[in-house]
Amino acid sequence: MRVVAKAEWSGEEELPLLRGFVVSSYSPLVAEVASRCLSQCYERPVPPEVGERMAVVLISQGGDVHSAVETASLVDSGQKVSPLLFFQSVPNAIAGHVAKRWGLNGPVVCVSPAGDPEHEAMELAGLLFGDGDADRALVVLVEQATVEGAPDRASALLIEPYGTAGGGKE
Amino acid sequence: MADIAVSGMAAATAYGRGTGALAEHVFAGKPGFSAVHRFDTSLHRAHVAALLPGATTLEAELAEVIDAACSDAGLSTADRAATPLLLAAEREDGRARLPRWGRTPEQTPAGLGATLAEECGLGRLVRAYTTACVSASTAVIDGAAMIASGRAERVVVAGGYLVTRDDFAMFNAGFALSDDGAVRPFSAGRRGLLLGDGVAAVVLERSARRSPRARLTGWGRAGDGYHVCQPHPEGHGMARAIRAALGRAGLEPEDLGYVNAHGTGTSYNDAAEAAALHRAFGLMADKIPVSSTKALHGHVLEASGLVELIVTILALTSGCLPVNAGFTGPDADCALDLVLDQPRQTTHRHALSLNAAFGGANTALVVSQP
Repeated sequence: MRVVAKAEWSGEEELPLLRGFVVSSYSPLVAEVASRCLSQCYERPVPPEVGERMAVVLISQGGDVHSAVETASLVDSGQKVSPLLFFQSVPNAIAGHVAKRWGLNGPVVCVSPAGDPEHEAMELAGLLFGDGDADRALVVLVEQATVEGAPDRASALLIEPYGTAGGGKE
Repeated sequence: MADIAVSGMAAATAYGRGTGALAEHVFAGKPGFSAVHRFDTSLHRAHVAALLPGATTLEAELAEVIDAACSDAGLSTADRAATPLLLAAEREDGRARLPRWGRTPEQTPAGLGATLAEECGLGRLVRAYTTACVSASTAVIDGAAMIASGRAERVVVAGGYLVTRDDFAMFNAGFALSDDGAVRPFSAGRRGLLLGDGVAAVVLERSARRSPRARLTGWGRAGDGYHVCQPHPEGHGMARAIRAALGRAGLEPEDLGYVNAHGTGTSYNDAAEAAALHRAFGLMADKIPVSSTKALHGHVLEASGLVELIVTILALTSGCLPVNAGFTGPDADCALDLVLDQPRQTTHRHALSLNAAFGGANTALVVSQP
C-alpha cells in the first residue's frame, strides 16, 4: 500500500464553518482535511469509477467530545436538544457528508483505535483492500484536545494498494 | 464461499440474559417495550424502551456476554489469551459527563475495549467500532476478514448499548422516536423507532472444535454517498452490500430463506431498504420472507448487528422465522414478503442479516446452517 496524498490541520488557522454542524470542531476538521487531501488528486466529485470503491474511514480515539458534553449539559439542565446535535451525534454523519460531497460510495468505517492511529489507518485500509470491498481509502484521523489550550489535531490520508491506476488530476 | 464458524454466542436484551430468553420471546412475537424509569422522559414524545431487567453497567454487561460466548465456544484460558477482541460500543452517559479537559485514553471506546480484553482474559483489543448502527456488523465483517486473510485464527466480537438519557433526548429531538408505543417496520402508518438495551458477543473461528452454531459464509458493505443521515431512497449502497455478500457466499437470491432487515420503523429508512431488496433480488424480492425484529427487542444501536445476527442464527437453526411485529397494513413502498401474524417455518439453509446507519453505511451478513 502507499499513501498517495496527505493533508494536515495545523491547529493555528481559522477553521471554516460547516453548514449543518454546530458546537464542535470535530466535523469541520474532518471535512477540511478530507478536502485538502482529496483535492491534491481529484476535482470534486471524484470520477465515479474511483468513488464507487473508495472507502471513508474515520479514526478517533476520543470521538466528538464537545458535542457529547454539550448534549449532556443540555439534558442535565432540562433544556431542549437541537436536532442538529442528533444528526451529528455519530461520526458517520460527517463521513456521510464527505462521501456525498466527493462522490465516495465505498464502505464507511469509524473506529476508536487501540494503538498508533497511523498504523491503524494502514491496518484498516489493508483489511478493506484485501477483503475486496474497496480499492482506495480516504482515512481521516482526528482528535479534539483533552488539555485546555492545546490545539485539536486532524490529518487525512489517501491510501491505495500498490499498482492502482491513477484516475486523478493529470 | 467464505466459511467462518460462529462457535459461540451470547446476548442480553429486554428479554433477559441468554440467547434462550431471546429466542423464546422473539419467536413468541411479544414486543419487549415497557415504561422507562431509568431517567425522566416526561419532556419527550416517547416514554417506553426495551430495557434489560436489572441492567448494571455497559462494561459489566459486556464482560458477562463475552465470558458466556467464550464458554459457549468451549474456549480454554489459553485459547482466550490467544484471541483478540473487536468491540462495538460508543455511548455511555457517564463518559459524556466527564470534564472536557483532562480526559485519558482509558476514558474512550478503545479504553473500554482494552479494559474488557484484560478483564475477560482475552488477547489484545483490535479496535473499538464507533460506526453507529453498523458498528457491530462492521466488527463482525472485519473479524471474519481477519480470519479469512490469515491475520487471526479466532476472534471475539462484542457489542453493547444500554439506553441513555442523552440518546433518548437526541432521538426525541430528531423526531425519530415512535409516539404510539410500538415499532411498525415496513407498515403503513409507521411512526418511528424505539430504543432498546442490547449486549451481545460471538466467537468467530476458522475451524470450530465442536459443532458451530452457524457459519458466516458471506459479507459485504458499501456506502450510499448520498446524505448525512438519510439512506439513498433507491437503496443503492444497501443493494451493493447485499450483492457483495451473496457473491462472496456463492449464492443467488433464491437460496435465501430469510432476511432479518434493519427495518427501523421510520418512514424513509424502511422504504429505502425495501427498494434495496428489490434492487438486489429482482423478481425474487417479494418471495423471500422478511422481518425486522426491532419491533420486538428495540433498536439497540451499536449492538444491532450482533443481536440481529444472533436472532438470524436462532431463526435459521430452529427453522422458525420471527414475525415483523407492529404491522397494521401494507405500504406500497415496502412491497415485501413480510412474516406477519405468526412465525413461519423454513427449511432453507441460508439467511441474510442487514444493517444501515447514518452517513449511508450499509452492511450485509450471510448466515448458513452449520
